[in-house]
Amino acid sequence: MQALDQWKSVFRDPDKKAYYSKEVIDKEKKLGAFLEFDPEKDTPGSNNENESSKPLKNIPYAVKDNIAVKGFHLTCGSKMLENLVSPYSATAVEKLGMAGARAVGKTNCDEFGMGSSTDNSALGRTSNPWDLSRVAGGSSGGSAAAVAAGMVPFALGSDTGGSVRQPASFCGIYGLKPTYGSVSRYGLVAYASSLEVIGILSRNIEILQLVYHTIAGFDPRDHSSREIQRTEKPSGKTIGILPDLQDTDPLVVEQYKKTAEIAEKAGYTVKPITLKILDIVIPVYYTIAAAEASANLARYNGIRYGLRPDYAENPEELVRKSRDAGFGDEVKLRILLGTYVLRSGFQDQYYLRAQKLRTVIRNELDKIFQEVDYILTPVFPALPFLHGEGGLTSFQQKTADLFTATANLAGIPALAIPGGMAEGLPVGMQLLAPAFQEDALLEAAEIFSPYLPCEKPPLYMDRRL
Amino acid sequence: MKREELEITAELAYIALNEREIPRLQEEIAKILEHFSIMEKWEINNLQPTTHAFMEKNRLRNDTAGEPQYPDALLANAEELEDRFIVIPNVL
Repeated sequence: MQALDQWKSVFRDPDKKAYYSKEVIDKEKKLGAFLEFDPEKDTPGSNNENESSKPLKNIPYAVKDNIAVKGFHLTCGSKMLENLVSPYSATAVEKLGMAGARAVGKTNCDEFGMGSSTDNSALGRTSNPWDLSRVAGGSSGGSAAAVAAGMVPFALGSDTGGSVRQPASFCGIYGLKPTYGSVSRYGLVAYASSLEVIGILSRNIEILQLVYHTIAGFDPRDHSSREIQRTEKPSGKTIGILPDLQDTDPLVVEQYKKTAEIAEKAGYTVKPITLKILDIVIPVYYTIAAAEASANLARYNGIRYGLRPDYAENPEELVRKSRDAGFGDEVKLRILLGTYVLRSGFQDQYYLRAQKLRTVIRNELDKIFQEVDYILTPVFPALPFLHGEGGLTSFQQKTADLFTATANLAGIPALAIPGGMAEGLPVGMQLLAPAFQEDALLEAAEIFSPYLPCEKPPLYMDRRL
Repeated sequence: MKREELEITAELAYIALNEREIPRLQEEIAKILEHFSIMEKWEINNLQPTTHAFMEKNRLRNDTAGEPQYPDALLANAEELEDRFIVIPNVL
C-alpha cells in the first residue's frame, strides 16, 4: 500500500530510526502526545507466516495508555497506575504484532478515559497540533495528536462515548469507532464495559481499513466479542441529516450544511430526519457509564491494584487513602455519581430507567436505518476549546457528547471524518451506519475525501525517511 | 444534593472526601441529576432494559485447568515482596 511505503524504512535502517526518534522527541516537547515513547521496546510478533507477506511489516504505531502492550506502562493517565508495567498485550495489539506492526509508545489520555480534553490526565498535558493553546480532545487526545502531527501512520484509542471520534475531529483526522463487540476488549482497561470499544485513528482511509480488518474478529477472551457479520447488501446512497441543530456553534453548523451539500454533489440523496432521542442521550449515557465505572473501578483499592499508602489504621482506611490519593477529580465525581444511581432506592429512578431508554434509542435508530443508509451529524457541537478555564467546564463537556454517545448506546459503528476548517481549526463530521457496516462508512469517507481532505497542521512532522 | 446523601454515597464508594471537595461535588452532582430528570418524561412501560447492545446470552469458557499466565511479571508490579507474597502495610 502506497500510503504505508514511506513508513517502512523506520525500522529497516538504523540511521532513519535514529532520525525518526529524534524528530518525535523534538516535537513532543510542544505536543505532549506520548506518556512513553520507545521504538526499541516492541519486538515484532513472530509466526509462521511469510515475513514479506505481512501487511503491516515494520509499520510504527501508537497505543492509548489504557490498552495493554507487553513491557510498556499501562497508566490510564492515572496516578493510581503510574508504575504499572503490563505483563501482556491486548488482543488487538497481538494481532497487529502478528501482521508486522510495531508499537512505538503509549499515548496520553483523560484519566481512565473520562473526559473530552485529555486535560484530566494526571501524568501529562497534550496540546492540539493546530493550536497549542487548545486541547487535542479526548479522551484519546494523545493518539489523535500523534497521528495528526505525522508521528505515526495510525494509533489505537478507545471509544466509550466519543473518545476516538472527538479527538480525531479536534485534530482534523479520521477516527473509527467500530461496532460493539467487533474488536476484542481483552487488554483494554475497563471503564464502561457495555459501551466501549477499541477504535482507530489515522490520516488515511486505506490504512484505517487495513488496521480495522487486522484487529477485528471473534476473541474467546472477551465475553462480549462477536463474529463479524458481513452483509451482502450493497452500501446505499441515502444520508439522513438533521435540519435543526440546537446548542451548536454556528461555525460548526455552517460546516455541517456545507458537508450535506457536498454529499449531494457526490451523488448521495440527502433526507432530513428527526432524532428525538438526542434529548435523552446524555442522561442515559452518563447514568449507564457512571454506574459501570463505579463497579469497574472498585478494583483499585491499593492492594490488588493501585497506589498504596504508606500506612493505614485499618483495611478500610487503606482503601480510602489509596483511592483518595490515586484518583483525580473527574474520576471521583463519576464514581460517586455511579454509586448514587445504583444505590438502593434510586436504582429504578435512574439506572433501570436509563437501560429501558437505551432500548428506545436502539429502536429509534433501527427505524431510521430502514429509511436511510447513513446518518450525518457533527462530531462535537463546538470547535477545539482552550486549555484550562477559557475552555468548556466539565458539565459542558458532558452535554457535548450527545452526537457521539448515541452510537455507543446503540452499539453501531461511527466514523469521524474531516469536515473542513473554521477559524484555522478543524471541524469534524460524523457518519453513523447500522451494525457491522464499517466498510460502508469507509467507502463513504473515500467519496467525501476529495472535497474534505485531511489537512496538515502547522506542527506536522517533516519526515525525510 | 444534600451533604448527608453525598457522604453516604462516598462511604459506599470508598472515596474519602475533604471539606474543600464537598461543596463542589454537591453542586456538580446536583447539576447532573437535574439534567437526568428529563428521563422521567419518557414512557418506559412495557420496555425491556438493554444491558449490552448485542449480547444475546452469556458465554462461558470450559471449566478446565490452564497454564498460569506470567506470574513473575505480575509480581514484579508489587511495591514490596517477601518471597512470593505481596507485602501490604500493617493495618490490624
